[in-house]
Amino acid sequence: MKKLNTAILTISTLLLFAGCSSNPDAGKKKVYSKTPAEVYAQSCKKCHGDDGAGNPKKKAPALNDRQAQEMELDLYDVKNGGTNQSSGTEHDVMEHNMKKLIAKGYDYDVKAMAEFLEKSFYKHAEKK
Amino acid sequence: MEKKNLNHMIDIVDQELKSQGVSRRDAMKMAAVGSAAFMMSGTAANAATEAKASSAKGKILIIGGGLAGMSTAARFSNELDNPDITVIEPGDLATSYQPGQTLVGAGIWEKSDVMYNTADFVPSGVKIIKDKAVEFDPVNNKVKTAGGEEVSYDFMVIAAGLKLAFNKIKGLGIDQTISTTGDHSPVSKVVGKNGITSIYFQQGSEDTWKEMQKFIADAKSGKQVKGVFTHPNTPIKCGGAPKKIMYLTDARLREAGARDNAELNFYPNGSKMFGVPEYHEAIVKQFEARDMKWNYRHNLIAVDPEKKIATFNRHWKEKGAWDEDLEEYGIVMNSKEVEVPFDFLHITPPMVAAEEIGNSPVGSGKGWVPVNKETLQHVKFPNVFALGDIAAVPMGKTGGSARKQYKVVVDNVIASMNGKELTSKYAGYTVCPLITSIGTVMLAEFNWTKKPTPSFPLDPTQERYIWWLLKVYALKPMTQYGMLSGRA
Repeated sequence: MKKLNTAILTISTLLLFAGCSSNPDAGKKKVYSKTPAEVYAQSCKKCHGDDGAGNPKKKAPALNDRQAQEMELDLYDVKNGGTNQSSGTEHDVMEHNMKKLIAKGYDYDVKAMAEFLEKSFYKHAEKK
Repeated sequence: MEKKNLNHMIDIVDQELKSQGVSRRDAMKMAAVGSAAFMMSGTAANAATEAKASSAKGKILIIGGGLAGMSTAARFSNELDNPDITVIEPGDLATSYQPGQTLVGAGIWEKSDVMYNTADFVPSGVKIIKDKAVEFDPVNNKVKTAGGEEVSYDFMVIAAGLKLAFNKIKGLGIDQTISTTGDHSPVSKVVGKNGITSIYFQQGSEDTWKEMQKFIADAKSGKQVKGVFTHPNTPIKCGGAPKKIMYLTDARLREAGARDNAELNFYPNGSKMFGVPEYHEAIVKQFEARDMKWNYRHNLIAVDPEKKIATFNRHWKEKGAWDEDLEEYGIVMNSKEVEVPFDFLHITPPMVAAEEIGNSPVGSGKGWVPVNKETLQHVKFPNVFALGDIAAVPMGKTGGSARKQYKVVVDNVIASMNGKELTSKYAGYTVCPLITSIGTVMLAEFNWTKKPTPSFPLDPTQERYIWWLLKVYALKPMTQYGMLSGRA
């Protein structure tokens, strides 16, 4: 029992020190060949529209109803096939499309794209 | 710490490494790397402890006194000279140790091992309002409670947790959402009986063990039995628990010598076991080794408690028409209903943000409180922050995430009070101690890079006894006494 206690103490102690040292963003930053504006103009707008209002015929949702930080989470989900262990994603179709588009060179940084979308299209831009 | 104890600890770690097939030399190398990392992070930790208590001022209101909310309150109390903190929490058991419910469900712990009274964890000097916040007016910095009390704030931290939406599953006769530790009566009239179980609420975890024992007894008597385990299409807290309870059912059946008479089947809505490829592959191998089956893309929509049939929406992708805009074939979604008979059903219910918050100005279309995923500041209201299960942060609904988030929230609120930039950032760390049998755990740690981010120099995809010790003996005291005091 004493040994068990010591082992527990050991792992607890290790755990207290752990996790602080990893910085996931350290090092390489991915470089994209096109700016978010270029990607939008050359690809996204075909379905999501000139003003980001979406197109029900193409089942393309509006992109003008969310602010950048909320949009970022959705774009992250699209590019990562869901963000929960086995919950899946509601973006099945776009996840497929996104893979094809990335292969065609229309990749983007989700944060930069989300900021571009808000700046260009956000329809509730006026302050409450 | 005494030197003798320290040596003893190092010996044990060394032995553990060796028993996992690591040579002594490699162990030394890893220890060196480990201590380098330890020294680096140690410096930061020292800086934090040595920093003077902040004289920043402001009235802080925390919505929710669960693990996330109460740890945040404790840390504010530690960091501020003159804290003015109010917590609104209606539940008597909000600070219970929810991660232990898996162990209760498999009869390893008792329910009393995970029950903790909220009142025992309120930091001194913190005012608690035993009520529910029902109206949010973030433009005027006010909330109203169900009892009609109006509370104003300078800074609000939303840590209200989530609700279990059993009411979205047809056939159970449940018409409202419940919380994990609150009143469970609307759900436990059907869940926890007749082979229908869920460890996602406290009473349900105790009832799961009762039902599991009957299931095992049936298998032992020679009956061919079916166990069905679900995973919904919403974000859920503790994404690993739907699988953990299945692993433990498998372990208990083997222990009883009755595994051959039971078929165990996992029905998740998604199409993988884990978002991190390394862990996904490890889990698939573990399932295969145990003859545990799985069927992706099945979302539980109805249960017939009499006939013991679970109905799933099975959905799949099909090649669609040529898409001129995409310059590729598109895909279309197709689906049909599938009926699955069961003897034992473990339901992981759909989960939602509390309606009164989700539909308020601080909520969002999906209900979760939208925050900057790094600073945890609300996207619309700069003096509002959110953490824990209710925050719209990818992958973040675990106690392990909250343990990283609450420090970020406290740092950033204090920075805001001082008119400074928010520099503290959450990197998406979360941890899933995936129980794979009685005596083994795979410690799946990861963040937004979707790569394993192990805290220890050990292969993170391996099941290990040492992580079982961590899960069963160490994490609870670390959480209940370290984290809830705002320190760890």
